[in-house]
Formats: sequence, structure tokens, C-alpha cells
Amino acid sequence: MLLQLNNIFKWVNSGGQRIFLLKDINLNVEEGQFISIMGPSGSGKSTLLNVIGMLDAFDEGEYHFLDESVHSLKEKRRATLYKEYIGFVFQSYHLLDELTVKENLEMPLLYKKFKGSERKAMVADMLDRFNIVGKKDLFPTQLSGGQQQLVGVARALISSPKLILADEPTGNLNSKQGEEIMELFKQLNDEGVTIIQVTHSEKNAEYGSRIINLLDGRMI
Amino acid sequence: MLKHNILFFFRNIKRQKNTFLINIIGLSTGLACTLLIVLWVVDELNVDKFHANHERIYQVIEHLEFTDGIQTITETSSPMAELLKDEMPEVEYATATIPPSWFGDHVLSVDENNLKATGQLIGEDYFNIFSFSLIEGDKNYVMSDPNSIVISKTLAINLFGSTKNVVGKTVEFEKKRQFQVSGIFEDVPANSTVQFDFALSTEASKEETPWNSLNTWNSSGPRVYVSLKEGTNISALNAKVEMIRKSRNENTIRTATLVPFSEHYLHGTYENGKQVGGRIKYVRLFSIIALIILTIACINFMNLSTARASKRLKEIGIKKAVGAKRKVFVFQFLGESILMVFMALSIALIMVAIFLPQFNIIIAKQLTLTFNVNLVLIILCITVFTGLIAGSYPAFYLSSLNAVAILKGKWNSSVGELWTRKGLVITQFTLSVVLIVSVLVVYKQVEFVQNQNLGYDQDNIVQFRIEGKIKDQLQTFVSEVKKLPGIKNASSTTHSMVGHNWSTTLNWEGKESDNVTQFQIVGVDYGLIETLGMEMAMGRSFSREFGTDSTSIIFNETAIKAMGIEDPIGKMIGNRTIIGTVKDFHFKSLHDKVEPLFMSLMPEGVNKVMARIEAGKEKETLNELQAFYETFNPGFPFEYQFLDHNYQALYTSEKRVATLSKYFAGMAILISCLGLFGLAIFTAERRRKEISIRKVLGQSVSQVTIMLSREFAELVLLSIVIALPIAYFLTQNWLSGFAYHIPLQVWYFLGAGFIALLVAILTVGLQAIQAANKPPVNALREG
Repeated sequence: MLLQLNNIFKWVNSGGQRIFLLKDINLNVEEGQFISIMGPSGSGKSTLLNVIGMLDAFDEGEYHFLDESVHSLKEKRRATLYKEYIGFVFQSYHLLDELTVKENLEMPLLYKKFKGSERKAMVADMLDRFNIVGKKDLFPTQLSGGQQQLVGVARALISSPKLILADEPTGNLNSKQGEEIMELFKQLNDEGVTIIQVTHSEKNAEYGSRIINLLDGRMI
Repeated sequence: MLKHNILFFFRNIKRQKNTFLINIIGLSTGLACTLLIVLWVVDELNVDKFHANHERIYQVIEHLEFTDGIQTITETSSPMAELLKDEMPEVEYATATIPPSWFGDHVLSVDENNLKATGQLIGEDYFNIFSFSLIEGDKNYVMSDPNSIVISKTLAINLFGSTKNVVGKTVEFEKKRQFQVSGIFEDVPANSTVQFDFALSTEASKEETPWNSLNTWNSSGPRVYVSLKEGTNISALNAKVEMIRKSRNENTIRTATLVPFSEHYLHGTYENGKQVGGRIKYVRLFSIIALIILTIACINFMNLSTARASKRLKEIGIKKAVGAKRKVFVFQFLGESILMVFMALSIALIMVAIFLPQFNIIIAKQLTLTFNVNLVLIILCITVFTGLIAGSYPAFYLSSLNAVAILKGKWNSSVGELWTRKGLVITQFTLSVVLIVSVLVVYKQVEFVQNQNLGYDQDNIVQFRIEGKIKDQLQTFVSEVKKLPGIKNASSTTHSMVGHNWSTTLNWEGKESDNVTQFQIVGVDYGLIETLGMEMAMGRSFSREFGTDSTSIIFNETAIKAMGIEDPIGKMIGNRTIIGTVKDFHFKSLHDKVEPLFMSLMPEGVNKVMARIEAGKEKETLNELQAFYETFNPGFPFEYQFLDHNYQALYTSEKRVATLSKYFAGMAILISCLGLFGLAIFTAERRRKEISIRKVLGQSVSQVTIMLSREFAELVLLSIVIALPIAYFLTQNWLSGFAYHIPLQVWYFLGAGFIALLVAILTVGLQAIQAANKPPVNALREG
């Protein structure tokens, strides 16, 4: 078992009223699964993803990640946990415009105490694997959307996470580029990486092994 | 990680050239101003501190209790030195001196080589007290022979061509008396308040008029310095010193006391017997100005970095998402701003090097940019401190934000942050407006002082010392001078009309016994009142037609009022008859009120010739005068001064403050506007979408421009409202230091406000017009 959510609630108070963003979410994720979260806008897909990614807190419930109780962990330990095991891929790529492809890839490693030579090797590995060696010295703005997202995925993978969280990874891409990214995910999943993606597209959801539908913060 | 951060820093600069330029220009100008002021302040603080024992050197000052309050003078009586040395075991060395400011310039001759040099009279212990190091001669003995003269290195070279084998040679003083060189001292450093080229023994003066009268307890004028033994309790010693005068004369109004010599330069002003500051106020004033300018520059940096925060937010969000902790950002942002300030520092140092000569001219110093440990430490502290302040906001605030909120773009400038930014802009402009008002007022006051009716006409009056042959044949000389073409009138006096300090008490009929009003004395010759163009209020001026004027006396109006005499003409004061009253004229700086004064004929005591030259003929007439002087008085170089120049010199510090604050205020407003400019660019960018929507919905370009400018104009207006009372208080305070000053007028304040507003609107308006004119499509499409 990679992670387990038990009776997760998340809400905001607005004008004396409690608005639920997540309502009683129960979810077990096994290693090696490829899950697609679907649902209309505002149904809580991204919130759920962020909670799983420990970027966002929840108000009630239990969250176990690799036998650790996330809900009772200190901030610092939680940060170490997600740094170690989770990689993120964003809809709008979120590459740093000031850094080259190579440097963007290297960035997550900077916060994980790798030696310079190790980092170099890992970056070179990634560049190789994604076939972007020729682009390593370009800045993100010099790349197409698909290429940027490729770098985004590479960055998420560089520290060999167990889990990749992708928030509409193809949302900003044309269909051909999107297909390529989904193929890549499929391939990664086959290699054993667990993936949870948020998506609007039925077609993309098909790549996954399991689909979770959300509506108004509830799983249906 | 460091490499990454540095890369980030430089690539950011490349991407945001505007912000970078504004920051670097603002910070480096701010730092340059601050550095110049620091150099000046350090120099001021070190004046007279080069003497090895400066902490043990004390000077005797005296408090004089007059009817209208205590006056403090730095002069005392010569015998004080001997008494202190003989009777106070704490005193190691003591010397009486006739300081250079009084002893003045004299002609020294070696063969046909005549030179004018500044001298002073000193006692045997002088070189033991003060560290003017001797190249030749032994500091214990150079002054033991009354016929000795000690000269500076430069003077030795000018007189003898070398410093070798000079000791023992003869120098002729005023073409009258021979002195033997007993020592040569290194030229006096610029940061010494005592500047002299040669020194004679006070013993020698005992035979010379007018100095011979000074060696008694009754006359005052010399300065007395002592060095104390280590570990002396100064307050215990002073308790004894303060009794010296009383023990000699029960009724004395004088109290002598010791004050640290090296502190006198900065803390030299006494009011009613209490130390109330002095030049230290300028040191403080400029330190504050430096701080203000640096603050304004820092505010720019802070404002721009928070305004640009949206650009950095993505970076923070992503880095946080991939695992960066808060600490990382604190170091990164503080590091960036410190790096930035160091870049600014290097530019500032270049600016300082370029402007230092000009700055030196204004402040009349010879500052150099030499790096010693202290200065480097000070500069480093200022730089790092500036960096920390400037970088604190992004470092501590932005780093605390939530990664998800940032990445989702949910983060908006909070109201608090908006107000912080506004508050900072208001602070900047408040400071700027205060500076502008102050500069206007200082400038107006200095102008007022320069154009003030002084009660006499100081223009085109040339004055020179009576020396050599002129001394013996004064009347002939003056009447010959009057005949020269271009000379309108000439006479002689004991005192220049500027910075006068020679006073006495008088007895008159009906005087109350406890009245110790001091009367300033001006000894004159016939025709001085006419030469200077003073006006008689009553009676007549001195005139040869009346024969008996040697016992006549003329008072100024203030004196008559102080004595309470009605119908003064013909009344007797002692053995003198009042023949007239002269309208009040200013003989000190306008800081002081006109004091009671009298004039009487002193043909023997006069030492200055004053001649009025026809306007427009100064050059020819001076040449004539010089030719005549040199034939009449061979061997004495003709050295003259214009009275109005001397008068201007009374306001040197004011003028310096005026000039300097003008530049610094200019800098302050410039840097402030730079910041406003940056914010305007940023706002225009941030509101691009809004502007586009407004334009699509039909708002005109001018409406948009006004809308954008208004936001800033309101801030500046608010600053003006805050600044004006502060400025009023400060300038009122400064003006009250002048007995005669301009009234504060409304337009100074409105004018300053207007300037600030105008500059601000121009700065912002240009940006606003540009923003308003952009085609709306692009912004909307993105959105």
C-alpha cells in the first residue's frame, strides 16, 4: 500500500457558512497504479491532488503514506517525505524561465544534498532518457509547449519518486503533444512508477488503470 | 546551490533591466552621498585628535558673568599657565599662547627674501603638549631662548631652500628684530585647528607692543593649554581651577575652567555658561541627511522588489513544490540584495572618486579616499546593513507564502502589503519635501544675510594692515592714499568691522551699581565713519575742525538705549564728551544682536587702513595702491582684503550647509522619483488588462492617464501634508539661531510641495500615457 486516505474532509468558512472542498474521501492507492481523477470544474480534483501531494492541508481525516501518518507529522518531516517520494507535473509546466533546461532539471536535486558530480550524472541520464540532450542549454521560452512539459516530467522524475502527481498535464498542449505525454506516462507506469493525474479528457483518462470521479468534493 | 542562485540573480537582471537600473542607480547614488558624508564626518570627528596625548590636553576657558547672562570666551590671562603648572600637581605641562588668529601674519626675511607667514607666540612647554613633530631641534629646548624661532618645513624651504643646516641661522622679523632658528616642525596637518608657519616665544613678546601688556592677570587674550598627568580626576582639578579667579579678586565676574582641547572644535558653543554644541550640530545634521538619503534608496529597492514579487512568486512556488525550505529563500533574497548593494557600492566608490574634488571645494577640506581599517569597516557595515534592510521584505515575507496558492495564481497583493508600499512611498516623499523646504529656507536666509543693510556700505572697501614704515607715518600715508585716483576716501581703525571682540565696561551718570553692560570698543581715526558710509543718528562725527576730539566719544544707538541716557550730546562719560550717536550697524554676524558700542579716536592703536575704491575701478586702483604701498613701505608685501569678503566669511558654514543641502536634497528627490518611476512602470504593467478593458468599454486615453497618475499624486499630496509641519518646525528652529532672520513665508512650503508634486506627476504621467496608448488587444488576448 502506497497511500491511504480515510474520511478526509476539507472546508473553508465563508460568510458563516462552511463550504466543503473535500467531503469524506476514502482512497487506497497501491504501488504501480495509474489513477485518473475526473470531474467538472470546482469538483475538488486539484484540491485532492494537492492534499495527496502534501502541498495542502486538510481539516479532518487520516492520511497514511508508506506507513507514516501524514496528518500527525511535523511540517519538516512531511517536507522530507514528499521531497523523497513525490514528483509534480503541472498543467502550465512551471519551469523557471531564468534557468536553462539542464538547470531546471538540476534544481530539485539542489534541495536533496546530492554532490555536484552525482547531480550531473542524474541530469545527463534524464536528458538522455527523454531525448532532449540537444535542448539542454535552451531556456524554456525557446521550447514548444510539448517540449516544456517533457522537461516538466523529466524534472518530476529526476529524483526517482515513487509517485507522480500530474495536474492536467496535457491541458495546455495540442492533441499530438498531449498524446506523446500520455504515452510517456504509460511507459513510466509500466516501469513501476505510480501516477495520479487530474484530467478533463476521457481519452486521457483511458490511459489509467482506474478512474475516480469527483462531484462537489465527493467521490462518486 | 550558490551557483544556481547567482545565475538566477544575473539572469533576472538581464530580464528586468528597468528594475535593475533603477535599483542600481538609486542605491549607488544613495551610497555615494552617504560615503561623501561619512568621509566628511570622520574627518570632522578627527580634528585635533592627532595629538598623541589629545585626551590629556586641556584648554582654559573663562565664563564671564554679565548683567544679561554668562558669556564664554576661550581667552584667559598669560600668568594662568605658570600658576597652573606651579600650583596644580596634576598639571604636567602648561603654556600660554597668542594664537595665530590673533598674532596674525608677519613678514619674515632672510637676506632679500621677504615672506609673509602666519605665526603664534608659545611657551616653553608647547611642543611637549602638542604633537607637532620636530624634524630639527629638541622639543624640550626649542623655546628656551626668547630669541628663538621655530619654523615649519615648508617655511624653512621657502626661506632657506632646504631644511638642512638651518638651525642656528638668523631670520629677520618685521624688518626689526633678529631671531635664531632653533627648530623645524613638520607642516601642520589639515585637521589641526591651530594653523601656523612659525612660532616665537611668549618671552620675546614681553618687549613688544602690543603684546607686552598681555602678561598680567588683568588683561585677557592669550590662550592657555595644559597637559595633565595620566589618571587625573578632571572634575576635582576643575573645582580648584574655578577658584583661581575668585581667590585673587572677590568681585571678579570671571571663572576659569578646563575643557578638553580636542573636543572644543566640535563642542565650542556656550550659552549662558553651558556647553550647547557647536559644529557637532552640522556633523549630526549631515549624518541624518546621509541616513535619509540611504533610507530613500533602500525604500526604492524594497518597493520595487515587492512590486516585482509577482514575478518571483512563481519561482518560490515551484522551488517549494520541489522541496525547497523557507531558509533557502531567506538566504537567497538577502544574498541577492547584499550582492546588489555591493555592486552599487563599487559604482558609488567610483562616483565618490569623481566628485570628491568638487566636494572638497565646497567643504573647504582636503579629503581623500584612502582606505584604512576603520573606514573599510564603516563602509562594509553600511553596505551589509543596507543590503539586509533592502532585502528583508522579500526574504521574510515572500518566503512564507503557501506554494499551492502561489502556483494556482490565487495569491494577490494583500491590503496590508499595498499599504506598506504606499507607506514607504509616503515616507520617501515626506523626507524629500522636508529637505526641499529646508533648502529653500536656508538659501533665502543666506541671501537675506548677504543683502542685509548692515548700517554701513561694505562694498569696495579694501583693508590692509598697518606695518613697517606706515606705522610711523600713518597720517602722511593715509592722506597720500586719499589722493590716489580711484580712491574715494580712506582712514584707519583698530578693528575690521567683522567679527569684533574687544570690550569694556563704562561708568556714566545714573548707572546702577550691578550693571556690567559690556561695550564694544572701536578705535578709529578721523574720517572712518565717512569712509565706511555710516550714518549719524544725532550729533556729529569726529572732525579735525573741532580740535579737541581726542576726548570725544561716539556711541551707537543700542549703547545709548542700554545706558538710558536722554539727550546724550554733550554729556560726559568719564572724561569723554559724547559728540554724537551713530546709527546701529552690524559688526558681528547676524546670529548676534547688535551690541552696545562706542568709537573714539585712537591714532596710536589703529592697525588697519580702510579705503573705499570707486566702483568699477577696482583693478586699476588696486594696482596704483600696490605701487604706492611698495614704494612707501619697501620690504613689505602688499596684502589686502575686501571687507565684504570678510563679511561673507562669517557665514561660511551657513553657505556650506546651503550648498551641500541643495545637492543632497536634489539627490533625495531624484532617488525618490526613480522609485516612483519604477512603481509606475510596474503599476502600468499590472493594470494592463484593466486598462485594456476600460479602453474597450470606451474610456479615453486621457481618462486612463489621469486614473493612473492619480493614485501616485494622492500619495505625494499626503506626503506633502505630513512633511510641511515637520519642515516648519525644523526651519523655525534653525532660523531662531539668527538674531536677524527672514520670516517663514507660505510660498516656501507651497513651492516645495509644488516641486515635489510636479516632479512626481511628470515621472508617473509619462508612464501612464505610454500605458494608456498601448493597443488593448494584446493584453486581453492573454487573459
